[in-house]
Amino acid sequence: MIVMEVRDLTKRFGGLVAVDHVTFEANEGEVLSIIGPNGAGKSTLFKLITSFLPRTAGRVIFQGEEITGLSAHLVARKGVVRTFQETTIFKEMSALENVVIAHHLRGRATPVGLFLNTRVARQDEATFRDSADEILDYLGLSRVKHEEARHLPHGHLRALGIAIAMACDPKVLLLDEPFSGMNPEETDRMVEMVRGIRDRGVTILLVEHDMRAVMRLSDRIIVLNFGRKIADGTPREIQNDEAVIEAYIGREDDELGI
Amino acid sequence: MRLRVAAALVGLALYLVVVPFVFRESRYLLGILTTASVLSLISLGVWLTFAIGRINIGQAAFALVGGYTTAILSVKLGVSFWLCLPASGLAAALVGAVIGWPILRLKGVYFAMITLTLSEAARLAALNGGTITQGATGILNIPLPGEVTFAGVVLVPAFRALNVHLAFYYLAAILLVLGLFTVTRIASCRLGWIFRSLRQDEALAASIGVNVAKYRVLAFALGCFFAGIAGAFFTVSQQSIYPSSFGVPDSVYFMLYCFLGGLSYVSGPVVGAFVLFLGFELLHGLREYQMLTYAAIMITMMLWLPNGLLSLRLPARPGMKADA
Amino acid sequence: MNYALIALGITLIFAIMGVLNFAHGQMYVLGGFVTYYVYGVFGLNYFVALAASAVTVACVGLVFERFLFRRVLRITTREESTMLLAAGTALLLDSLGLALFGEKQRGVAPVVAGVYEIFGAFVPASRALIFVLAGGLVGALLLFIQYTRPGRALRAIAQDKETAALQGVDIDRYSALGFALGAALAGLAGGLLVTVFAVNAGAGTPISIKAFIMIMIGGAGVVSGAILGAFVLGFSEALGYFFIPGSTTYLMILVGLIVFLIFRPQGIMGKPWG
Repeated sequence: MIVMEVRDLTKRFGGLVAVDHVTFEANEGEVLSIIGPNGAGKSTLFKLITSFLPRTAGRVIFQGEEITGLSAHLVARKGVVRTFQETTIFKEMSALENVVIAHHLRGRATPVGLFLNTRVARQDEATFRDSADEILDYLGLSRVKHEEARHLPHGHLRALGIAIAMACDPKVLLLDEPFSGMNPEETDRMVEMVRGIRDRGVTILLVEHDMRAVMRLSDRIIVLNFGRKIADGTPREIQNDEAVIEAYIGREDDELGI
Repeated sequence: MRLRVAAALVGLALYLVVVPFVFRESRYLLGILTTASVLSLISLGVWLTFAIGRINIGQAAFALVGGYTTAILSVKLGVSFWLCLPASGLAAALVGAVIGWPILRLKGVYFAMITLTLSEAARLAALNGGTITQGATGILNIPLPGEVTFAGVVLVPAFRALNVHLAFYYLAAILLVLGLFTVTRIASCRLGWIFRSLRQDEALAASIGVNVAKYRVLAFALGCFFAGIAGAFFTVSQQSIYPSSFGVPDSVYFMLYCFLGGLSYVSGPVVGAFVLFLGFELLHGLREYQMLTYAAIMITMMLWLPNGLLSLRLPARPGMKADA
Repeated sequence: MNYALIALGITLIFAIMGVLNFAHGQMYVLGGFVTYYVYGVFGLNYFVALAASAVTVACVGLVFERFLFRRVLRITTREESTMLLAAGTALLLDSLGLALFGEKQRGVAPVVAGVYEIFGAFVPASRALIFVLAGGLVGALLLFIQYTRPGRALRAIAQDKETAALQGVDIDRYSALGFALGAALAGLAGGLLVTVFAVNAGAGTPISIKAFIMIMIGGAGVVSGAILGAFVLGFSEALGYFFIPGSTTYLMILVGLIVFLIFRPQGIMGKPWG
């Protein structure tokens, strides 16, 4: 079942076309990776889908509903959540606080209710705390949950970023280069984590350079080059696709690293 | 924790009972304490904007809005002060919300500069307000607060009949306590966390579903509300208001009080306002060197206590911070 | 044209140090007072007076930079600290001016007498002189920034401090230079205008506000923006006062500015910011 459709999404920065009429579909429960040489427009695509950048043209349809042009927080509210390329977390809060605050969307109390600390507000807090504990546990961050986020090592920060995204209870999760800067061991763990999240029923869109991870994880792959989609298929199909190989040949060989 | 509550209670007792009783005949002392209280209130409003990560040098504008609202309502329409007070707060908050909505998109220096412009623009608006604001003459002869009765019982006696200075002291004190309580409450509930998330990373906050625009305006408008209330207070205590009553230098001072008191603490602006304002008054004897010494002291504080006065005594309680 | 001097001065400081010099207006006033004393009271040559103004204010700028700003920039993580320090220095200079010079207005007789007629309008010779001098200074500054080595160093720092440091530019030294230069410009502007308008100790804040407005219009930290801002403001003022006497003009300018900034916060020439 198709959970999200992107139609002719285009982004122009002055004379430069970063994303050029990209069209694809994401099926429910699959892991869809978006790859391509540097500068192909992958991260820009994510920003467009989640409304962090205004689009020049095109549409995004989520669960049959048009979400094009909705403001960023509303897109999140619909269930489409992204992580950020640079590890972005709330630096001065502890890991636990980060995840708790990320439950914002699930809050039932109104601002006034929060101020007055009504029963609903207190229930929210309790629910959030339990859920945060669970998420942190699942991602292996329990031991560091009271550490201030900016003191956490890189791998943990990545996991925390995902924890934050998960707290939003997303239906579609857009992971922006979650494997960057990871050694093989960390990568393996992350692959497992992503699989686990998918098994919970979340559709995952992945932008990544690490080909090994991509090939292992993905159900389908989309390849972008110069903002345009040049291939769309299973990992096997993509590996053998001529256009893809050509797009990468001009770059360093180890990018393919299969 | 218990120590904190005890300290707060002692402070409250001093503030609300001991000091007014002991100094009830000293017009001067009551006066400066009253002023310090109200300045604290305004600075608390500025603190709220610091809490969402903005530098606000426009607070004077909103104090002016509040002040003029009260002046116009009570002089031209004969409205009782006790209605004017909340009305002024609301008026300032409304203006703050309307102007805040577009300008809060800006950050850092740019936001600071545009708020600075607001301070000046407000003064000019009052100056050129024609018959409504009476321009440079200002509005004078503003009546003192009247009495408040409910079901035949006098809840608040008319200020005319009282030791006026004492009455204003109490009014200011109550307003400040309420304001401080409000802000403390906000900082410690989830609203405070939401504001904190805005301050630390607006994009991330949006991605977790925080309606960034709405909460920014909320914080800003609330800060303006405090300014409006304070403006109303000054208007009746001086019984007059002029375009120059609150201007750019005042806005700068409010910001300084917050900063030098300690942005990490809710009580920072209060401490800052009291210490600095009372300090200024204490230097009274230096006459023409008063201002100079004052400025020198402030600069010294900035150099040696970059995190404000309160950082000397208390480590910041997690969850109460306002700094980036 | 004089406005351009002021705008350039504050832009320079902002571009190099990232500090919004709240004290700029006060530096202007200081320059005016120095010229008043050297030229008006002691009777020395006007140009000597101007030079004295520039040097005095530049020294003040140097002191500020070296002892205050440099320290604060090093020990603070917050953006606001330098801004507040700048506000503090403004207060300091303001009160210093008050203490040293008293509250009276001081004016200086025009340096040259006579009136020129240009394009049918009567222009007092003193104003023409100011225009020429200011224009000359602006031109000299632009040339300096563009073609000399220190000028290029300044530009490098303005564009990217880290890279400039990596390339061997002595950041501390040039920051001091930038600040001093910016301050000197303000002082010169004061010295020039004291022959036309009187200065008094309290005139600092309104001038600072005008400086802010100019860089808001033109774009903070960009030289062309400063000049553009100066001209737009000067023009709007002249036009406004012609049609609407009184302070309503300024109100309209401010409102217009606020609306403009909402749509284009970086000013006309400013760099788009994050």
